[in-house]
Amino acid sequence: MYELFKNLGDWLVSGEQWSGSDGIGHRLAEHLQYSLLATLVAAAIALPLGLLIGHTGRGAFLAINLASFGRALPTVGLVVLVFLASGLSMWPVYVALVALAVPAIVTNTYAGMTAVDPDVKDAARGQGMRWHQVLFQVELPLALPLIMTGLRLALIQVVATATIAAYVSFGGLGRYVFDGLAQRDLVQVLGGAVLVAVVAVALDLALSALQRALFRHRPA
Amino acid sequence: MNRRTLLGGLFAAASVPALAACSSGITSLDGGSGAGTGGGSSKSGITIGTANFTENQVLGYLYAAVLDAAGVKTTVRPNLGTREILIPAIKGGDIDLLPEYQGALLHYVDPKSKATEEGEMQNALAMALPAGLQVLPYGRAEDSDAFAVTRETAEKYGLASLADLKKQNGKLVMGAAPEVKTREVGVVGLKEVYGVEFKEFKSLDSSGPLVKGALKKGDVDVANLFTTDTDIQENQWVVLTDPENLIPGQHIVPLIADRRADSTVRKALAELGNVLTTADLTELNRQVDKDKKDPEDVANAYAEKKGLAA
Repeated sequence: MYELFKNLGDWLVSGEQWSGSDGIGHRLAEHLQYSLLATLVAAAIALPLGLLIGHTGRGAFLAINLASFGRALPTVGLVVLVFLASGLSMWPVYVALVALAVPAIVTNTYAGMTAVDPDVKDAARGQGMRWHQVLFQVELPLALPLIMTGLRLALIQVVATATIAAYVSFGGLGRYVFDGLAQRDLVQVLGGAVLVAVVAVALDLALSALQRALFRHRPA
Repeated sequence: MNRRTLLGGLFAAASVPALAACSSGITSLDGGSGAGTGGGSSKSGITIGTANFTENQVLGYLYAAVLDAAGVKTTVRPNLGTREILIPAIKGGDIDLLPEYQGALLHYVDPKSKATEEGEMQNALAMALPAGLQVLPYGRAEDSDAFAVTRETAEKYGLASLADLKKQNGKLVMGAAPEVKTREVGVVGLKEVYGVEFKEFKSLDSSGPLVKGALKKGDVDVANLFTTDTDIQENQWVVLTDPENLIPGQHIVPLIADRRADSTVRKALAELGNVLTTADLTELNRQVDKDKKDPEDVANAYAEKKGLAA
C-alpha cells in the first residue's frame, strides 16, 4: 500500500508526466474544456426553462419529471447510443454531459423561483412592475443562491463524468483511468482519479467563493 | 463478448498479480489414444466451469454433451467469471475442467513466453502450468485476435495481409481497445514485425459496439476484432492475414485437473476438437447472441447433429 502511494506521488510530480500531448497539463486543459463547455450549454438550455416554469408556474410537473428522467439516464448507455447514430465525434460526449447537467440546473432554478415569497411578488406587481421587471428585478435576485447551487452541482457532476470522453477515444483526465485499467497500470488509474477529484473540489470551492463575493450583502 | 474479458474484468485486471509460473507439473501430451497419465479418473463425475462470456459457455456445454455421451457424469457451472477466479477454482478442486484458449492461457501462466506457434505453445503450457493441471490436445477452432478492414477499404488500398498496411503508412486510422496501443499484438508488434505506422490510434472497446460502429461508419480504417465475431461475416469485413505469425494462436484447448484426466475424457474431448471448426463456433455464438437461444440447447443440438452425442 505504501509503495502504491509512493509511486502515485512520483507519478503526479514527475516532470515528464506533465508535458506532451499525453501529459497532465494537456489532459487537464481538455478535461476543463469538455466540462465547462458542457455546463455552459446546459445552463443556456436549463436556466431559461427553469426561470420560465418558475415564473409562470406552468409546465412544472412535466419539466420536473422530464428532469428526473434525464437524471436516471445511464450516461455510458447514452454515449454508446449517440455514438452508434453519429459516429466517432465529440457529439456523444457532449450530449451525455449536457443531459447530465440540465436536470440539476432546471430543478434548482425552479426551486429557487418557487421559494420566493408570494407576498413580495404581489407587492412588486402592485407597484406596477411589468412581468419581466418582476422576473429580473425581484424573483431572479432572490432565487440566485439556489440557482448558483444548481450550477455548482451540475459542474461537479460533469467534471466527474467527463472521464467518459476517453471511453470513445478522446482525451481528458479519463484517458489515464481507461488506459491504466486496460494496461493494468494501477498508479495511472489512481492518478487520473485523484486529479479528477481535485479538479471537481477546486472548481466547487472557486464557484462558492465567487458566490460569496457576489452576494456578500445577504445570507446565501 | 469475447476472449479478452477472460483476462480480467476492469477491477480484477487492475489489481491482479501475475500467477507465479511453476514448472513441476510436466505432463504427457499424447491425446486421444491409450491410457491417461497419472491415474486420473472421471468415474466420480466431472465439474465443468466456464467464464463469463457466451462462447466459453457454449464450449462448456459442448464438453458436457460429449462427455455425457461417453458415460461421464457432468455438472456445468456457467458464468463463473474471469481467469483470476477460474484458475484458483480448478486448482482448489471446485471445478475439474475448463475450456481455455492457448495463447491467452499461456500469457496468464507465463507472461514472458514468446511462443506463438501452436505446437510450441502446447509445450510451453505443459511446462508453465501449475502442478496438478494439464492441457489436453488443442482443437481446430480458434478465437484469436484479428485486424479487419471493410471490403471497400481493402479494395481501395489493395489490402489482403498485415504486410500490405505498410504501403499506406501514415494514412490509416486504427481503432481498438486502449491496451492494444501498448501491446505486442497491437500497435507495437505491427510496427516491429511489419513496419506499419498508423496515422492515428483511437482507443475504443474490445471488439464491441464502439469499435465495430466506428469501422462500419468509416471513422476507423483498421479494427481489432476476434475471429469468431459474427459481425465479421455479416458485414463482409476482410480479416488481414498474418504471414509473419505476429498474432499468437488461440486454439480452444481443454484445461483439466490431473485427477480427472482419464482416457475416456481425453478421447471424447479430442473428438470434439477435431470436429468443431472456427466457423462452427462462430455460428453457435451467433445463435446465442443474435437469436437469443440458450447456450445449453445450442451446444446439445450441435453435438447431436455431428454425431458426438447420442
